[in-house]
Amino acid sequence: MAIETEFNELVGEQTATRAARQAVARPMLRASSIYLLVTYAVLVVAGFVAMVPFLYVISTSLKETIALFHYPPEWIPHEPTLVNYKDLIREHPWLRWTLNSFIVAASVTVIKVVIDSMAGYAFAKMRFPGKDALFLLVLLTLMVPFAATLLPLYIIVRELHLTNNYLGLILPPLASPIGIFMMRSFIESLPNDLENAARLDGCSELQVYRRVILPLIRPGLVVLGVFTFMNQWTSYLWPLVIGTKAEMFTLTVGVQSLRSLFTVNWGILSAGAVMSMLPLVIVFIFLQRYFIAGSIAGALKE
Amino acid sequence: MARVEFVDVSKRYGEAGAVNGASLTVEDHEFLVLLGPSGCGKSTLLKMVAGLEDVTEGEIYIEDRLVNYVRPAERNVAMVFQNYALYPHMTVYDNIAFPLKMTGVPKQQIRERTLRAAGALGLEPFLERRPEHLSGGQRQRVALGRAIVREPAVFLMDEPLSNLDAQLRVQTREELLKLHARLQTTTIYVTHDQIEAMTMGHRIVVMRSGVIQQVGKPQDVYDNPVNTFVAAFLGSPRINLHTGRLRAEGDALLFANEDVTIPLPDRLVRQARAAVVDGETALGVRPEDIAVDLNGRVSVGESVRLSATVALVEPVGSDLYVNATTGGATWMARTDPRLPVIPGQQVGLVLNLANAKLFGADGRNLAVAS
Repeated sequence: MAIETEFNELVGEQTATRAARQAVARPMLRASSIYLLVTYAVLVVAGFVAMVPFLYVISTSLKETIALFHYPPEWIPHEPTLVNYKDLIREHPWLRWTLNSFIVAASVTVIKVVIDSMAGYAFAKMRFPGKDALFLLVLLTLMVPFAATLLPLYIIVRELHLTNNYLGLILPPLASPIGIFMMRSFIESLPNDLENAARLDGCSELQVYRRVILPLIRPGLVVLGVFTFMNQWTSYLWPLVIGTKAEMFTLTVGVQSLRSLFTVNWGILSAGAVMSMLPLVIVFIFLQRYFIAGSIAGALKE
Repeated sequence: MARVEFVDVSKRYGEAGAVNGASLTVEDHEFLVLLGPSGCGKSTLLKMVAGLEDVTEGEIYIEDRLVNYVRPAERNVAMVFQNYALYPHMTVYDNIAFPLKMTGVPKQQIRERTLRAAGALGLEPFLERRPEHLSGGQRQRVALGRAIVREPAVFLMDEPLSNLDAQLRVQTREELLKLHARLQTTTIYVTHDQIEAMTMGHRIVVMRSGVIQQVGKPQDVYDNPVNTFVAAFLGSPRINLHTGRLRAEGDALLFANEDVTIPLPDRLVRQARAAVVDGETALGVRPEDIAVDLNGRVSVGESVRLSATVALVEPVGSDLYVNATTGGATWMARTDPRLPVIPGQQVGLVLNLANAKLFGADGRNLAVAS
């Protein structure tokens, strides 16, 4: 009986404490709910604003030309049609442009990932005279706007007879230093003892890079790969300058060429824009984990 | 024969010297410990043997072969790193097998030797795990496995126990000693922990600011430190060192400063006279050579009794550390843990001078100098 009383007292005490705690917690909970609500509301509005042009392009691509000029504008087409897509593929070398974009973006991505990680390894871990000065020089090239180098670069490529040529599209973007900078940061964070252990275990410098460094910076490589692929896929100015024949256009240049001198077929143009975005969206969906990790890597690195 | 020889080895980074003129021979089968505080050059010396740091001056021989310009992998040494340096993307099996794969050992042999090394270290249940799924002690054993699987001529160990907790450190220390007793591989072991050095080394090398201070068997170095640095570095609590001057009074020689006057025993008198000390000296008495006397009954060989006030009492279970002052001088005594002594109490400190050390003005032990 005594035990039962004690137990009841204890439970009573605990219940009272819980109630007191809840009384304090309730206003706090209310404040945090309001904060959460406001945050979500702001995010939803911002997301909607960001999505509007994208949704409008999709909507336009599914409309007949005549429906484009209705007032008020139709956000959701009454009679959706794929005619713009059919016309685009039938009347223009769309597949060739897609292939060109893919060849250029994939080649630049693969080569850049390899050479940037190698250069990053050298700058992060190897000791050689003039290393810091050389790295500074590489970084300085970041400060020069592309527009300033466009003309000399074009002259060099033209003199090498690489206009209207895949090499002319692929080689110049490889010289961008941002990947080297990124890889150096990733590799610098790896402990030196790992390479030392690998050297003692019989690895040559190339084997240290390939068998120890590369597997450990895989997330960094994916981020660099995704960024590079996206950049190349959406690159416009250089492919426009270097490709004058329609069969060497990339998607961006191809879409732009859909505008004729006096008229613009907005339906076909929108269909082209949607089709050119599609591969990127797919890549992003599959690799968004790495993409987001890479975007915040600098903030979280110890 | 896996002998390692350093001949006047120096390492400089620009103007700064990390190691200065180190000469030393590590004998075959020996377990040699490099001991010293952070930045004393012990790890640099080890890395020079491994080939991970270039030698600025001097020569290093392994198995009587000059290795200054030999690639790390071709020196026939294996190293265990402080932070284990396991390959995070490989399983335990692949970590241990990696050096064999890299040196072109046939596949069947790789398997046999890897399993044998893993077996010797009790790692069989973890072979398919990645390092991130292992405890600190298990990681340390994998690092050891990667070293022993190569059957190298020399093991190099760079503070391999410093990342383990106290209990595991003692356990792993014992395992390392058993491993060495079984394999008999020449080992150079770096640590800043004097207990590790004393318990593990056949010989210890005490270093300071890139210079070797003393080489010898642990007990010899402890008993006969060449200078005040070695005397103070070895021993916990550290040796009581007090500076003063020698003063002759008839046949007797007194060590005196403004706090104490201590008549020296014959042994120290002979040392002082042989070294012709004229100036400042330091007297060193280890805490275990000081007894705390509560009732005037303690009597120890060549002893001197001082009146002191207890300042601090530190019980550590097995011992009681009593910190007491005589004037401005502080003395640390290691005594019976059950001694009823409290701060502020007046006690007698009985200094057993049989093991006391006398150092010259330059810090050198007069026993060694004479």
